[in-house]
Amino acid sequence: MCETCGCGLPEAAKRRSGEHPREHVEEAVLYRGLLAANDAQARENREHLLARGVLGVNLMSGPGAGKTSLIEALARRTRGRLRLGVIEGDLATDRDARRIRALGLPVHQVVTGSTCHLDAAMVHDALHRLPLDALDILFVENVGNLVCPGVYDLGCQLDGVLLSVTEGDDKVAKYPVAFRRANFLCISKTDLLPHVSFDVSRPGQEARVLKGDLELFYCSSVTGEGTEALLAYLEAGRAKLS
Amino acid sequence: MHEWGVARELVRQAEGEARRRGAREVRSVTARVGPLSGVAPELLARAYEVARLGTLLESAALSVEPDPVLASCRECGREGPLEGAVLACPRCGNRELVVRGGDALHLAKIEIEIGPEPPGGEG
Ligand SMILES: Nc1nc2c(ncn2[C@@H]2O[C@H](COP(=O)(O)OP(=O)(O)OP(=O)(O)O)[C@@H](O)[C@H]2O)c(=O)[nH]1
Ligand SMILES: [Mg+2]
Ligand SMILES: [Zn+2]
Ligand SMILES: [Zn+2]
Repeated sequence: MCETCGCGLPEAAKRRSGEHPREHVEEAVLYRGLLAANDAQARENREHLLARGVLGVNLMSGPGAGKTSLIEALARRTRGRLRLGVIEGDLATDRDARRIRALGLPVHQVVTGSTCHLDAAMVHDALHRLPLDALDILFVENVGNLVCPGVYDLGCQLDGVLLSVTEGDDKVAKYPVAFRRANFLCISKTDLLPHVSFDVSRPGQEARVLKGDLELFYCSSVTGEGTEALLAYLEAGRAKLS
Repeated sequence: MHEWGVARELVRQAEGEARRRGAREVRSVTARVGPLSGVAPELLARAYEVARLGTLLESAALSVEPDPVLASCRECGREGPLEGAVLACPRCGNRELVVRGGDALHLAKIEIEIGPEPPGGEG
């Protein structure tokens, strides 16, 4: 509405008709989402994956919490049961992509350059470079960063956060954004628990304040502990698609 | 620093809306940013200083409107904002909370000056 005279006429129409002062100040109340473009692309990605029967799984964590190692461990365990593919997001190198390729999985590397996270457009681009028809689950390994990736919906069906026991059990409340987006939390590197002081119940309990229906897993990519339960959860998620 | 991309989107949307309304200049812009949005208001403000250059927002001040996280305690029933990075009830310390709000990341308002383009920048 026009602030000058309170009428409902659009500004341009009034200026044309000359019924309005030519110059004035007005306030526009908008409340529009600043992530709308990303969210629209994410919706498209989600439909794209769904149409191909692929479960997209966005993996977020701080640097080195064990995302690539977990994908490797799941790939070793699933052999044949599920067909896995990976999108690797990295600031600069293709080291993680090479690790995945060495396992024989289809992988596409996104080098984000100075960008601290993946966004839906980068994932969309990568989707068209992977053999989606030959996949059941597509992991999207986000940039190692517990802050920024949480801001962006990538259009995956599941979002997960890894928190390794060496990072400390107080991280959920300090980095709440990614946990609020997450469908599951995987406490990683549990084989190291004897060496660190880490209350295993605390992160899950704090994360459930942010996300009531969060699923919890405790995994070690070294011993394989917990990877079967996580795999069963992902397999169930994949089965629900079709 | 993803705040740079957010600041550019803020300017892009504000400028688009200002032009649509026939503005010659944006006087001020307000963003609504919650602590769970993942955007730090200080970093957004810094990025905005660069993003606004050469646009209709060149001399528009940015203000950030808060969107507090509201938590209700399942133990004592307290409702209100949380304190800092603590996910516990500020009154009774209970950790069984229900959290809502605090996610906003919006272009909230713009204040625009309508009128003919000033020739060569003078009034
Ligand atoms: N003990 C132990 N070490 C692990 C485990 N998982 C990963 N690591 C080690 O942790 C380090 C980081 O693992 P990555 O899998 O590269 O972690 P990431 O999250 O992919 O790292 P970025 O992609 O760089 O963020 C490596 O030295 C791994 O060998 C685990 O379950 N137990
Ligand atoms: Mg990695
Ligand atoms: Zn960032
Ligand atoms: Zn309480």
